[in-house]
Amino acid sequence: MMEHLAFVVVAVALIVSALRVVTSKNLVHSVLWLGVTLASTAVMYLVLEAPFLAGVQILLYTGGVVTLMIFGVMLTRRVDPRTVVNEQSRRLPGAATAILTFLVLVAAALATDDLPAGGLHAPDTETLGRSFLTEHVMAFEVLSLLLLAAMVGAIVLARRRDYGTGKEKA
Amino acid sequence: MSLPPYLVVAFALFCIGLYGVLTRRNAIGLLLSVELMANAVNINFVAFARFHGGHAGQVFALFAIALTVAEVVVGLALVMLLYRTRKDILVDEASDLKH
Amino acid sequence: MPEPAHLALIALLAPIAAAVIIGVVPPLRRAGKPAIAVSIAAVLASLAASVVLFVMYVDHPVGTVELAAWLPGSGTVLAEVGLRLDGISISMLVVVTLVAACVQIFSIGYMSDETPPALGRYFGFHSLFVFAMNLLVVAPNLLQLFVGWELVGLSSYLLIGFYYRKPSAARAAVKAFWVTKFGDMGLLIALLVLYGQTGDFSWDVSLSIGWATVITLLLFLAVMGKSAQFPLHVWLPDAMEGPTPVSALLHAATMVAAGVYLVVRADPLFSQAPFTQGVMAWVGGFTALFAAVIAVVQTDIKRVLAYSTCSQLGYMVCALGAGSLMGGFFHLTTHAFFKALLFLAAGSVIHAVHSNELSDMGGLWSRMKLTTTVFIVGALALAGFPLLSGFFSKDLILEAVFERGFVVPWAFLMIAAFLTAFYMGRVVFLTFFGKPSAAAEHAHEGGLSMKLPLVILAIGSVVVGYGGVALARVYRTDYHFHVGAVGIGATLLAFAGIGFAALVYWKKSVTPSALALFSPVGKLARSALVDRLYVALFQHGLLLFSGAVGFIDRYLVDGVMNLIGWLAIHAGRRLRVIQTGNVQHYVYAVVAATLFLVIWGLWS
Repeated sequence: MMEHLAFVVVAVALIVSALRVVTSKNLVHSVLWLGVTLASTAVMYLVLEAPFLAGVQILLYTGGVVTLMIFGVMLTRRVDPRTVVNEQSRRLPGAATAILTFLVLVAAALATDDLPAGGLHAPDTETLGRSFLTEHVMAFEVLSLLLLAAMVGAIVLARRRDYGTGKEKA
Repeated sequence: MSLPPYLVVAFALFCIGLYGVLTRRNAIGLLLSVELMANAVNINFVAFARFHGGHAGQVFALFAIALTVAEVVVGLALVMLLYRTRKDILVDEASDLKH
Repeated sequence: MPEPAHLALIALLAPIAAAVIIGVVPPLRRAGKPAIAVSIAAVLASLAASVVLFVMYVDHPVGTVELAAWLPGSGTVLAEVGLRLDGISISMLVVVTLVAACVQIFSIGYMSDETPPALGRYFGFHSLFVFAMNLLVVAPNLLQLFVGWELVGLSSYLLIGFYYRKPSAARAAVKAFWVTKFGDMGLLIALLVLYGQTGDFSWDVSLSIGWATVITLLLFLAVMGKSAQFPLHVWLPDAMEGPTPVSALLHAATMVAAGVYLVVRADPLFSQAPFTQGVMAWVGGFTALFAAVIAVVQTDIKRVLAYSTCSQLGYMVCALGAGSLMGGFFHLTTHAFFKALLFLAAGSVIHAVHSNELSDMGGLWSRMKLTTTVFIVGALALAGFPLLSGFFSKDLILEAVFERGFVVPWAFLMIAAFLTAFYMGRVVFLTFFGKPSAAAEHAHEGGLSMKLPLVILAIGSVVVGYGGVALARVYRTDYHFHVGAVGIGATLLAFAGIGFAALVYWKKSVTPSALALFSPVGKLARSALVDRLYVALFQHGLLLFSGAVGFIDRYLVDGVMNLIGWLAIHAGRRLRVIQTGNVQHYVYAVVAATLFLVIWGLWS
């Protein structure tokens, strides 16, 4: 009962905020609405008995990604403050495709025979942590490498060309 | 509670994100929409994890979160570069790699 | 008692030995006279062996003597080299060697003006020819016959083109070779088909009527070529470019008769194909008439005789078409004698007046009595004058054709008989009677070497006719000479022809109206219509075909290739537009593809 109620509230929040993300004319507003969506997702995780995940979600997404996005928005301001408008001609095919995709996905879900019914409990954090260091240790390591690569790559890509020795003017 | 409602929510989120990807002219707007899609997928994973049992779903979701964050970082770096070159970041105008 | 095989081998090998010696020992050839001696010795030896063979064995045929296995097949022998000695081949051997001997002796005198090396070459080729002809005659199967056939054709080419410095002679030699080669294709394909059907090259096989017809028609094509039947007759008049003795031997008596001989030999095959026999009767009949008509307007004495040969070969072919082997072969024998005689006598005349044209002759009766006499004997024999050899053989043919029901060909033959008498009378009166031309004033007979063969052949022309009964034994037919309506009719026509010729050319009383009938023929003969048709057919036809093939190659084959290239370029040009550079378009594409896959997955 509680679960139902929580679910409905969170679901509504998710949908509404997502819609605002994609439809806001003001980019900063879009980013803020994304923050709401991400937070709602974290609550959804809680409803789905994944507390650790919820915490990670708050830390990384709502904290980190949103901040990054705000920085990005501010650093790429257009000289003239004309806001970006989605033209009508782009909205219609986009909406149609999205709705079509939704219908197909729902149909696929309905067509599946053996959706799990549940009753089992989600794992606790300790099991999760253990599995990271035993069963999925390789993937874990690779992931860390990937994060390193991403960091280095981002720095290389975005650095100012006249740093240091002054080679490679932009 | 059963699984399908969660799936439907995830689907809806996914499709809203898809709409954004297809429609937004600003590159950052596009990245925001991509985030939505990624989150939808994560919800899907966690929902299955809740109903199927086992920890594979949540592990996957965690990995997905890490990957998505990395992707956002690189993406923003590219946007910076684009801005530096063209002074604006409209994706439909950045079509130099055409036929 | 010498073995028949040994005798036959002497007949066969003596001439080739002579030819090889003359060919391989240049000093001998260049000296001239020694080469003559070798060649004549060989042909006389061949003649002696053939006569002995004839006398001893003509009545009891020996059959086939196998000499060597030639083409080994898997297990069995495909073809063997051997000698088939029966009445037909033995009598043919005698005819060939006798006429060859006469011709070679005549050549001593006739060709005396040639240089010694040329003489050596000439007699070497003659020996080669005798060997080739004998090889053909004694062949036990079609393959060996084919070898002899081709060698005979080669000898003909070498001898027609003997005066190789003369362009017309060279062309004539090539033409003869080409036209007969066209016919030889028929023989070759017939051999292949025969082998395909029976696994052997023998003619003693029985086939279905369809295959027999195919094979015999192909063989008849070769006969048409070799025996100068219409429309493959065009080479024979031109072959008169060769020395006259060559014309006598090859193109009157023996080589052109090889076609007839082939049909006689392969009779087991021809008997199984009545359609082919019908074709032969018609072609032979038509050729007889056609050639006789053209012979009337010729001005060159050798050409008259050439067309006459063509016509007489038509008689033989028609007889064979009517199923009368005896008739065809009998006439072959008699014709060999009197035609060779006529040619040699004509050679004597040509030697005397130094020209072939009838206008350069006249009044030679008083100056060349022997030649005149023997020529008249030959001419009468050819015309079918009673009691001479031609009379018996021609009569047999006419009766056989009539009895078989080939009425139209028979009519052709009868008209041709009249014309034959007419044109021979024309030649006789223009050559030996009337006023001599300037060249004829100083004519005189040749030496003994030229006179002796004439006499021998003249005797033969009279006597051989009476050998019909003996010949009939060989063919196991019932032959008795009787005077029938046909015979009387033919004889009357002959008299009429001679009489008419006398009126026109001797008494000169009927000139204008008679010849007006023939002037279009003369025009036609001079226009070489058949030759021009051949040129048009093959040359233009071939060029047309090449043009068509070229067109196909350029536009179809190349076209396909070019089309593929063009398609690649234009497809690429159209498909390029997909690359818009706009990321969102690409996303659309991905989504579309994914949806399609999912829907497809859901559906099936």
